[in-house]
Amino acid sequence: MIDLLRSEQIKLRTVVMHWVLAVIALAFPLVITLLTSFFNGDDDGWSARSLVEVLTGTSFLSVLLIAVIAAASVTGEFGFGTIRPTFTATPRRSRVVIAKAIVLVVLALEIQITVVVVGWFAGSAIAEGRGATMNLSTVEAGTNALGGTVILAALMAVVGLGLGLLVRSTPAAVAALILWPLLVENLLGGLLSLIFDSSGLAAWMPFRAGFTMATLDPFDGPSRLVAGLYFAGVAAALLAVGTWSVNRRDA
Amino acid sequence: MIDVVDLSKRFGSTTAVDHLGFQVRPGVVTGFLGPNGSGKSTTMRCMLELDRPDTGSTSFGGRRYRDLDRPLHEVGALLDAGYVHPGRSGRNHLRWLAASNGIARSRVDEVLELVGLSTAAGQRVRTYSLGMRQRLGLAGVLLGEPETVILDEPANGLDPEGIRWIRDMLSWLASQGRTVLVSSHQLSEIALIADDLVVIGRGRLIEQSTVTEFVARHAERWVRVKSPGVADLQAPVAAAGGAITSVDDTTLDIRNLDAATVGELAARHGVVLHELSPQTGSLEDAFLKVTADSVEFHSGQPGPAGGAA
Repeated sequence: MIDLLRSEQIKLRTVVMHWVLAVIALAFPLVITLLTSFFNGDDDGWSARSLVEVLTGTSFLSVLLIAVIAAASVTGEFGFGTIRPTFTATPRRSRVVIAKAIVLVVLALEIQITVVVVGWFAGSAIAEGRGATMNLSTVEAGTNALGGTVILAALMAVVGLGLGLLVRSTPAAVAALILWPLLVENLLGGLLSLIFDSSGLAAWMPFRAGFTMATLDPFDGPSRLVAGLYFAGVAAALLAVGTWSVNRRDA
Repeated sequence: MIDVVDLSKRFGSTTAVDHLGFQVRPGVVTGFLGPNGSGKSTTMRCMLELDRPDTGSTSFGGRRYRDLDRPLHEVGALLDAGYVHPGRSGRNHLRWLAASNGIARSRVDEVLELVGLSTAAGQRVRTYSLGMRQRLGLAGVLLGEPETVILDEPANGLDPEGIRWIRDMLSWLASQGRTVLVSSHQLSEIALIADDLVVIGRGRLIEQSTVTEFVARHAERWVRVKSPGVADLQAPVAAAGGAITSVDDTTLDIRNLDAATVGELAARHGVVLHELSPQTGSLEDAFLKVTADSVEFHSGQPGPAGGAA
């Protein structure tokens, strides 16, 4: 398995697009957070809570990009045909999927932990330098929300991989990853709420549940923990179906 | 030793491979021939379990492909030189392949040297010519020093020097007792390098034999005669049952009679011969004859556009 992990890591790190997306996923929340801290640090209203809000808010783009990297890492293999040498070198396909999942989750954790740690400490230092007082313990659920973005990032990598294994096409996977959370869930959630006359159903849309983990003000619906477990279940199910599909179909 | 047993593969209503079975023995190069669309590539993908066959199985030295622990050490396969990420360098392509089977990084540089790609190893594959991609694919095949080598059209895109290099490489691999299966459209190449043949058409086995047997059984044979007195020879040859084709004023091709008979007829009628040679058709002739019923895509005859009335 160590050999396979090394192989998948080489693959992930030798494609420029993966680097570009990873740098954007890392830089976007940090740049926005640090600039906001710099320009608002001397504002009376600027607080530790504001910093956590900016960090968690901008992290939504990061985790989406992480899902896109995960999906593209496998759809690219189908697109360029490298999946065939991959499965020739390792005919037990589930092992390849597991290795890919581990490498992608590690990448997701590296990116999002860096975002959270650098974002918080650098943002705080800038704001404190401009007169604000920053203390994470004063922010209700602040640690949970920031930690939630890290777990969400890891789960989004699994979702991206599962989806990529199923659809095998980069444009289709990217479109699904962008449109589903941003558009389809809102429409579908609203529609279900109307039909069944209950706003509670919308809270069980998978990505909304996932994002509940990573926000300071959770949406109405299940708790942060329950929503997180539910989204983890969805991610695991998607990966399981993707693995089943890749084992069954021709490469 | 490769043993293919009762292999079938359908795509929708199309049967690409139809209960195909053959053996490939070690120590020789086996040519895998068939017209376009006859199922060669699908067969190779099924053998490596990339495509899931509907029936049948393939074993390599008695073991299924999926049961090989580190397959690159046992079977080296090149199905398509295009299966490379264009943005990766040739070296990085081989690095991930090597890493997956625990092959040392130093071996990557060795095989790059072996295929003559050392200087281009750091370049992205998108800058490679088709011939360079074939060489990169072959480097991948050689990584694990496999006992069995399977190549689909390895000479595609190679220049004459590259084709000769492939030929020498395959002969060398076979001489070491390895099992070599190679498909090719270039029948003249196969005639030069292969000892055994597996010929398929419409997904079914047409014939498995040695190249020599195959040509002897299927290629046409005739006798070529050169003589200043061909006119005096025509009547006796025809009377003896020979079918004559006139090549030029002094040359005849005679079918249905052997060289000895033609020679005796010439002596009996006082005709001086400048040449009397038995001729055999090529592997290409034999192949075209054998697969005539199995060709999926027929070509038209060359001629003026629009067709004469």
